[in-house]
Order: sequence, then structure tokens, then C-alpha cells
Amino acid sequence: MNATAYCFVNVMESETSAIARGLRRRDPDLLDRLIEQYQHRLLRYLVHLSGNRELAEDLFQETWIRVLERGHQYDGKHEFSTWLYAVARNLTLDHLRKKSPISLDGLLEQEDHAPLEPADTRPAAWEVVQQHQQAERINAALVGIPVEYRETVVLRFQEGMALEEIATVTGAKLGTVKSRLYRGLNLLMGKLGGPQA
Amino acid sequence: MTRHAHDEARELIALGETLSDAQQTWLRAHLGECDACLHYADAAGRLVRTLHSQPFAADSALVRTTQMRVRMRAGELQQRRERLLFVAMSCALVAVSSALTTLLLWRGFAWLGRWSDLPTPVWQVGFVLFWIAPTLAASLLFLAHGTHWSGHSGKAFRG
Repeated sequence: MNATAYCFVNVMESETSAIARGLRRRDPDLLDRLIEQYQHRLLRYLVHLSGNRELAEDLFQETWIRVLERGHQYDGKHEFSTWLYAVARNLTLDHLRKKSPISLDGLLEQEDHAPLEPADTRPAAWEVVQQHQQAERINAALVGIPVEYRETVVLRFQEGMALEEIATVTGAKLGTVKSRLYRGLNLLMGKLGGPQA
Repeated sequence: MTRHAHDEARELIALGETLSDAQQTWLRAHLGECDACLHYADAAGRLVRTLHSQPFAADSALVRTTQMRVRMRAGELQQRRERLLFVAMSCALVAVSSALTTLLLWRGFAWLGRWSDLPTPVWQVGFVLFWIAPTLAASLLFLAHGTHWSGHSGKAFRG
């Protein structure tokens, strides 16, 4: 069991080291592969963080340009996704700060935020409608909760990040992450008509 | 059962799979006794599963555009790196060549001064001017180019 875990850690380390080496070389093939690998997860995170699909798509492109330019800063000792999300988050915050008249609340109040598109997995028609309605309900509820809670809920339950990784990405303490997760889930359940603490 | 116990149970439910063995045991015992928290746990579990399985797809055009932009930027950075390398190599070459030739030039000017009976300060000033002339010319050229570029980029930016 321990040997399996050791092998897994070694494989993960060699993969992150390979990414770090490739980023230092600014290897375009590696970047193409990473863009494809993280496309859905990164865009979903940016959509939830910015509350606006169009803005999220711009930030998606800018994030990868920044990954190219500052790839040498990735040490290869941690998960690449943690570093990637931190880069995306900083870019989003920089953007929101520059657009100072438009506060984050203002962004959340915009009515033209595009609903998230379901993936084309070609299920039956009624399933498509049901999935779409469910996705819309959840997205509407997510948009309705404060961004710091939304971000934590999305990173934990959609991206499957560990609490420590969320703390690294957001720069918050572990206790704060736990409290945000609890309050975020609670608020979300309230919005969806479920029980609240 | 205190309100504190319910709050603690719901906080643990929110943390999900990251609980220690002791926390899991305590939570299981609490859920066995408290219907409200059990109901909360069921609802939270359903929501988390829905969040986890919620489909989301990035537009393939966005991915292609991003890959293209990244490649273009990589090309620009590569060109800039090559230019910087060229400038650094030129500087090194100039430094080495000036270190080698300055002494010879100084002796040459001294010989010329003696041969043409010029006072020492005159041929020394001549040497300085001759020595500094290429640098001055290059600086002026760079300055002129700099003004030219900034003028062009300004126009492009405006429109």
C-alpha cells in the first residue's frame, strides 16, 4: 500500500517537474496540451469568479499568456492546477480592481451574464432539458451568493480541490476556507430551497 | 443536545471527505440521533453531487484562439530574447575590442602629436573625441529610432 502511494507521489512529482521544465523552456506544445487539459475547469472557475462569461473568456486567454510569460515561477513541487488557479485569480482581481467603478457586487448584479452551457453529451431530449434547468438553477443560486463563498464552494465541490490547495489559491487561512465552505454551502442550500443551519 | 452540537455537525458535513476518523465517528453518532442534521446531510450530499456532476464545456473556438495567441506571444518573446542576446554579445565584443585597441590608439595619437609638434593637451583631446565618436553616433541613432518608434506606436494606439 505504502509502495503504491510512494509510486503515485513519484509519478505526480515527475509530471509536475516535467511541466515546470517545459514552462521554463516556454514549450508551445506543452502549453497547447495544458490549455486543452484545463480548458473546462479553468473557464468554469473564471465564470464563477467573475460572474460574467464574456469577461471569463478574456481572462482565460490572459491567464494562459501569463502562464507563458511567468512559467519560470512555477516550481514543480506543487500541483500545477493550484498554481494555475492562483494565476487566474490574481488576474481576475487585478482586472476587477482596474475597473474600480464596477465593483464585484456590480458585476454580480449584471443581468446579461450568460448561463453556463452544458456539455454536448447527447443524452435524451428530456434529459437535456432537465440538465439545463438544473444547471441554470444552480448557476443562478451560485451567482446569488457572495464571491468569496462561491469561489470556495466551486473550488471544493466542482474542481475537487483539497482545503489546503484552496487556501494556497485564495491566500486565505485554512480556518477561513473551512468557514467559507460551510457558509457558502449553507447559503447555496438556502437559495435552492433546501434546509439551512 | 445543544445548538453548538448541531452547528458543529453541519460544519463537519460541509467539510465532506476531509474529516478525521474521530470526527467521522462523532458525526455518525450525532446523525443517528438528530433527524434535522440527517436531513441537512442528505440535502448537502445531493447538492454536492449535483455540483460535482454539473456539465460545463469551454467553446472549442476559445481554446483554438488561446492556443494561437499563446504561440504568437511565445514567438514574440523568443524574438525579443534573441535580440537581447545579440545586443549583449555586441556589447561584450565592443568591450573586448576597445580594451585591446585603446592602448594602441593612445600610443598612435602620442606619436602623431610628437610628429606634428602639437602640444600634449591637443592630441589628448583629439584622442578622446576619436574614442568617443562611435558611441556618440550610436547613441544619436538609437535616440532617433526611439522617437520614431514611439511616434508610430502612439499613432497605432490612437487608431
